[in-house]
Amino acid sequence: MSEDLESQLRAALTPVAPRDEFTQRLIARVTADKGTEPSARGIRRRSPRATAWWLSASMAASLLIAVGVQHYRQERREAERGLEARREVIEALRMTSQKLNLAYEVIKNQSSLPAEDKPGV
Amino acid sequence: MRNHILRIFFALMAPTLVWAAPNPRLALPEFSALAQKATESVTITLDAALLAMAGRFLNGNDPQDAATKEILKGLQGIYVRSYTFDKDAAYQQSDIDAVRNQLSAPGWNRLVETRSRKSQANVDIYIMVANNQATGLALIASEPRQFTIVNIVGAIDLDKLHKLEGQFGVPKLDIDAPKAPTPSIKK
Amino acid sequence: MNEAPPGFSDEQLAKARAGDTAALASLIRAHQRSVYSLALRLLGSRELAEDLTQEVFMQLNGNLKSIASNTHLLFWLRKVTSNRAIDQLRRRSRIEMTPLDNELLFTSSADGSDPLLQRHLRQLLLELSPPARAVLLLRYQEDLDPVDIAQTLEMPINTVKSHLKRSLEILRQRTPDPERSRCEDKSI
Repeated sequence: MSEDLESQLRAALTPVAPRDEFTQRLIARVTADKGTEPSARGIRRRSPRATAWWLSASMAASLLIAVGVQHYRQERREAERGLEARREVIEALRMTSQKLNLAYEVIKNQSSLPAEDKPGV
Repeated sequence: MRNHILRIFFALMAPTLVWAAPNPRLALPEFSALAQKATESVTITLDAALLAMAGRFLNGNDPQDAATKEILKGLQGIYVRSYTFDKDAAYQQSDIDAVRNQLSAPGWNRLVETRSRKSQANVDIYIMVANNQATGLALIASEPRQFTIVNIVGAIDLDKLHKLEGQFGVPKLDIDAPKAPTPSIKK
Repeated sequence: MNEAPPGFSDEQLAKARAGDTAALASLIRAHQRSVYSLALRLLGSRELAEDLTQEVFMQLNGNLKSIASNTHLLFWLRKVTSNRAIDQLRRRSRIEMTPLDNELLFTSSADGSDPLLQRHLRQLLLELSPPARAVLLLRYQEDLDPVDIAQTLEMPINTVKSHLKRSLEILRQRTPDPERSRCEDKSI
């Protein structure tokens, strides 16, 4: 059983690929930090001055993109956390209300009984 | 001389008095052994920061959200442990004793103790009061196949909480009738 | 599983370190499956897994020059992914009843294996504590031995072995007989 369980576990945990669209986006974003699109031709050569200019411009652009992406991701994470917290609050209060109602019903039913039938509370 | 002695006495007592201030936050165990047996388990841990975050995502124009926002005012924490089992007597009362024992500490007052022979549901509600205001609530509900512990820290309004019944799709419970399969939202 | 994935050589790693974006893209394609799967099965959510995968590769991009070899790269990716996921899980409060992301129901059955049982196992994995889950994933998804797992998670070796032993016991206890599970699995 132990070997069977472990082999089933290995089979269950075979790595899965993300969506193609995510992969494209991931490659685009990571390579954007390099300032150039993915290319099979390798690094393009430029003159030193042009290189310096391009380097500054692409670093500035990369920084803006990175800041923008980070900000967007942070906001999205905050929103996710906030919505999850909201769901949890509602669930917690729902459960509390349900149990309070249970108690109220018992008390209400007992108070409608004749005096000699009421159990002690 | 006497005043001097009294001052020394209170100075020595003060740390003890502060140290002994009642704490409405219960130490809730993980119940890991029971969680493994349970068919459903709910663990909710919301401190003041998370409650504040949740509050920002509650829509004041929605009746349920608005009612929830009202209740959240003044709360510093909500903690829930709930376990449901697929057979009776899957847990012992002694499993909950670690929590129940904390409620005999000074500060806690038992508000309600209900026992229903029909549904075998027991609900105990405790409240902690300071300066004529509730500062904490503890609820222990045990049924044959489920137990729930709720600890709320802060200024809880029981009346508002009870009135939430119907807001969250919780039907008005009739313990003499079988539970409806699908809860209906009461207006 | 400490070998470079097929199609990604030491030579390509050297090019990526030198700034070749095509080589960097190949690196991402070669390793994203492993990183994403680790993140997905630790965090239990496709969105969070995609976020984490992106963060890991962005961070790698900034640290590529310090990666000495493909072996080092694999170690780095597993370590950063696992530890970041565990940190995220620690920061979040959780409701055990949250339904599973549909992606986790993805069956990857090989011939002769039981897809329903595997789905059940993936579900049970999410009920383990984050460190125990990480240990099991590094063992059975990434095929690391306990010593490598201990280094990756910066955890004492005895703790790793203890997590493995206890987690397998839990899975064993909560896994129905394989013959019966095909007919009676109610967990889906």
